[in-house]
Amino acid sequence: MANLQNIRRRIRSVKNIQKITNAMDMIARSRFNAARDALLSNMPYVSKTKEIMKRVMSQMRGQEYEHPFVKTREDLIASHTNGDGKFLFIVIAADKGLAGSFTSNVFKSAHDTIEYDGTDIINSVENEDDSENFHKKNFDALKDVVPMRSSNSKQGKQYTATGGMARANAHPSGAANSGANLSVAREYHDADYVDGVELITVGRKATTHFSQRGYNIIKSFSGISERPNYKYAREIADLVLERFKTGEIIDVTLIYTQFKSAISCIPSSVTLLPIITDDFVQGGENLKEEYIYEPDVVSILNDFLPHRLATRIYGAMLHSAASELSSRMNAMSNATDNAQELVGRLNLFYNKVRQAGITNEINEIVGGANALE
Amino acid sequence: MSTILLEVATPDKGEVFSKEIGMLIVRSICGELGILPKHARLMTELVPHAMRIKDGGAESQLFVGGGFMEVTPDKITILADSAEKPEEIDTERARAAMNRAQERIENFKQSHDEQIDIGRAEAALARAKARLLVKGEHIG
Repeated sequence: MANLQNIRRRIRSVKNIQKITNAMDMIARSRFNAARDALLSNMPYVSKTKEIMKRVMSQMRGQEYEHPFVKTREDLIASHTNGDGKFLFIVIAADKGLAGSFTSNVFKSAHDTIEYDGTDIINSVENEDDSENFHKKNFDALKDVVPMRSSNSKQGKQYTATGGMARANAHPSGAANSGANLSVAREYHDADYVDGVELITVGRKATTHFSQRGYNIIKSFSGISERPNYKYAREIADLVLERFKTGEIIDVTLIYTQFKSAISCIPSSVTLLPIITDDFVQGGENLKEEYIYEPDVVSILNDFLPHRLATRIYGAMLHSAASELSSRMNAMSNATDNAQELVGRLNLFYNKVRQAGITNEINEIVGGANALE
Repeated sequence: MSTILLEVATPDKGEVFSKEIGMLIVRSICGELGILPKHARLMTELVPHAMRIKDGGAESQLFVGGGFMEVTPDKITILADSAEKPEEIDTERARAAMNRAQERIENFKQSHDEQIDIGRAEAALARAKARLLVKGEHIG
């Protein structure tokens, strides 16, 4: 028979945990409100930057002028054929755990994107209006390009990677669940695939996750995931631009969690660089009028594009912060509810055991009394 | 009279200004610009200054702390690093900031101290002056 003492102890420990989860819920809730306000007041700025970008870029094509960040897809293929630049991914996740599936969702999406080989069925993200998710388009364009220096080029590695992905898909249980993705990542660990990929991580969880899997992390930030600061976004942007200009990296993708509402946060990925004009022309209306640039187009773009990059990274950080806190809020309020239910069940069990004990004692007394007669 | 839509957005306060106006006078890195409705498409960078917004006979001012401006025939979009209406500006703080910046610039002129970021000090001075100007205080 269960020991009353033990049950009491268990009830007490569950109640203590409930207190902790309840406190964490309230903390997350108040921080979430701040994070949501920050995000909401940043959103008009980001969307306006995006609109301007779209209008400027849609009439950029076909001009003799060239800027290192702006390319047509043909240029991209050409530069890819000659160079051996790396692919850079910026992963924005959390510093702390206990936020439900938030972190693992980001990693799942990150692995899907990083290890994308053109055969992946559908990403979890279906952004009907996201005209800027070029990574896959870029990759599809590059898939059949055989680089000249195949020995140390990214393309060769990506072919090995394709083999890995194919094996994972062939595996009966490997139907695009996170388990399969993780096993694929481990396979890459040995391959030199990871040499062609560089990461910038925001959040301690992301740093440990990817460093354990042997990825090359060139810079990591921690302690800023809940309250992002524009300064760090600028730092990331500067680092990215510097490496992009020297040709060390040829493609930059940002992976973060998009905050849609308090109950819906969607991991997404966007391509930051290079800016492919083809997609803007297809997406936006084709403008005939040309812009007047003061003082001139080169200096404006030299200032505007880095600014745009930092703005987007900052926006993504804010999205990620709001998502993280809302996930934590949900997880912790669920945990509190579960604890409440568990306490109820344990109380019932405790009372049953206690009653059984009393009944037993009465039986014994009655039995003893009967025996005396 | 035809009008043009002016929208000013900042990274941390959202849309600060959104209204149909008659004329906008801004200072870009190349000089002053007056924007009227049906202006040609234009893209430029702004310095910290006090923008003048004309609407009919009335004129109001808005402080912007630098940023970018895009003009299309029916809309002006300003992406400002910061933007404040006259009633939001703290005169005391702006004056203190101006004094600090001036002091730092003076120190730099005398000592050529490497520690002083002269660019930053000058930008701070420009911002403080523009803020005071929006408040109606003209300083050198």
